[in-house]
Amino acid sequence: MPSGPLLFQSIVLGLLLGGLYALLAAGLTLYFGIMRVVMIAHSAFLILAAYLAWWSHDRFGLDPLVSMVVTVPLFFGAGVLLQRGLLARLRPLTLTMMSVLLTFAIALIIEGLLGYAFTGTQRRIRLGYGTAGFEVFGARIAVVKLIAFGLAALALAALYVLMKRTTFGWALRATIQHRDAARLVGIDTERVAGYGFGLGLATAAIGGTALALDSTIYPSLHWHWIGPLMAIIVVGGLGSVPGAAAAAMVLGLLQSLLQIPMGATWAQTVFYLALFATLAVRPQGFFGGRLAQRF
Amino acid sequence: MLSSVRRTPWAAALGTTMIIALAACGGGGEGSENAGKEPITVGISLPLTGDFAEPGKGVQEGYEAWAKAVNDKGGLLGRRVELKILDDQSNADRVVADYEQLIGSDKVDLVVGPFSTRLVVPSGRVAQEYGMLFVEPAGAAAQVFQQGFKNLFYAAPAVADDHYNHLAEYILALPAGKRPRTAAYAAMDDPFAQGTAYGLKSKLEKAGIRTVVNEVYPPNTTDFGSIAAKIKASGAEILVGGSQYQDGVNLIVALQQLAYQPKLAAFSTAPTNPEFAKAVGNKTEGILSPTGYSQDAPYPSNKDFVTKFKAQFGKVPEEDQANGYTTGQVVAAAVEAVGCAEQGDCQQKLIDWLHANKVETVVGPLSWDATGKPRGAHMIQQWVGGDIKIVLPAEAKEADFIFPKPAW
Repeated sequence: MPSGPLLFQSIVLGLLLGGLYALLAAGLTLYFGIMRVVMIAHSAFLILAAYLAWWSHDRFGLDPLVSMVVTVPLFFGAGVLLQRGLLARLRPLTLTMMSVLLTFAIALIIEGLLGYAFTGTQRRIRLGYGTAGFEVFGARIAVVKLIAFGLAALALAALYVLMKRTTFGWALRATIQHRDAARLVGIDTERVAGYGFGLGLATAAIGGTALALDSTIYPSLHWHWIGPLMAIIVVGGLGSVPGAAAAAMVLGLLQSLLQIPMGATWAQTVFYLALFATLAVRPQGFFGGRLAQRF
Repeated sequence: MLSSVRRTPWAAALGTTMIIALAACGGGGEGSENAGKEPITVGISLPLTGDFAEPGKGVQEGYEAWAKAVNDKGGLLGRRVELKILDDQSNADRVVADYEQLIGSDKVDLVVGPFSTRLVVPSGRVAQEYGMLFVEPAGAAAQVFQQGFKNLFYAAPAVADDHYNHLAEYILALPAGKRPRTAAYAAMDDPFAQGTAYGLKSKLEKAGIRTVVNEVYPPNTTDFGSIAAKIKASGAEILVGGSQYQDGVNLIVALQQLAYQPKLAAFSTAPTNPEFAKAVGNKTEGILSPTGYSQDAPYPSNKDFVTKFKAQFGKVPEEDQANGYTTGQVVAAAVEAVGCAEQGDCQQKLIDWLHANKVETVVGPLSWDATGKPRGAHMIQQWVGGDIKIVLPAEAKEADFIFPKPAW
């Protein structure tokens, strides 16, 4: 039985990690909700954003958080273009399968370009406050991890408000729930879907910046992220943003706690075990509710 | 298929001819004084392309620096040294063919090894069949010494398991009151990285220093928060990291975030990287690392090696270059002592001499056990006042060992 302080420290670390997972999974599940596409390149964009944060810090000495002023709008634009220019052109009959191939290709292109531009060397942003931390009830909280969590929480809250309180959010949710019905009531679903994609990619920009604060990055790192993120959105119920966030927190926490008895290698398997269990017992996901049960 | 079979010997022949021609050109001008005697040819196959191209080229520079140094001093036994280097493309089949060719048809006088365990084992076998002495610069894994080779010598201070021997001796020699009681180990899931950490672990455990954390992480790990939390909660007095580079940096940063302060912290490879201090925000005080080669090491031939290498290649030598050079030094010492360098009975005399003697090299004095495993240990370096300095063994030290380690 691990000691109390270690348990508490692991819970704190797990929650901080879960927050980041939640933001990243939210974007991924949004694409599926909007278009039923599997966006393999989501985590590649995440690493791209992390590289841009690292590069702007390394080159111009800017705080990585400042890079979001550029990357968030840039990624939003890229998302809209990606949906309108490429994914919307796929034939509906084979959309899900072809979208996997298409976004797989995009992921490879991004990885290749990153390797070409920045080489395969592992990078880490060197921040003055990189090792700073403070103590809360016996657990140490690193400032960079807290900033990353804060970013994720703010972005998720903003996403929630946008989805629930704005006309665009209503239109987007209507498009997710029933595209034909949404069109019948006068929603331009094509445009809304494009913006929805942009929104998803914008979360990758924020997530990438948060990731770069306290992690090593290298071009092929995205393969390491896409698996757990896919597992999270299935457990959370495909297409459900709150479901993805809840599943992310739970699995992030579990991963952190399981590292105590199992070690780093085996604790990773929690995502895939959860994925198998979900598919076997409750394919519609554990947090999705009625929306997710429809598909 | 047929055409490729036909073409290969031509390509090999052409390549060989070019290499001989190049060697001849390179030797022009300086050879006049020894013109009467035949040169000593040293056959080498190196991975100049493929997976190991980077370190392979490093070793090649080391060999070339050695040949130049020897020839500048009038050669070996009064004969010029000529290198015949073939490219094995990092391929284990090629390396066998290369050494067969070098020994069998090119009739080289001596052979020395390629780079990496994967190529050293098959090529060592060829050398054994022909009864050739086989000194090699880069086969440090345990399996090299389990093949029953009697002709092989690894020209470096220590295999991975023995890297920390000087540190183990130091810790175990501490008075009972000062001696640490608990230790934490975190190693990457990689034979080399684990070898270094577990070599020290088994020695400390035998002496009664309790292992309180023993973590293994996959090579792609980037989040070290949980491992750091475990180490901190254990309150281990000693921390040993079996690291490459970035994982070591990440683990150190994660531990600093948790304000963990061990009495001693040792990491393989990472702290000797030129980028290391900047990567951990200059909080390096007291961090230890074993190192196989240092440009600052006070061994007699090292200063000369560094100066000449700089003049020849316009950069300072690193470990790969030093290993190539050391291999040459070992062979040269045997040749000078025995007084011959050709195929046949001479080779066994060279082998016997190396088994019985100690050789002074740029990485320190080397001697070997019956399997060709070096009997030494790596030097231990410590970060002192913003610079990494040799602290162990005592005869090579640049600064005093600081224990317990100051807070980072």
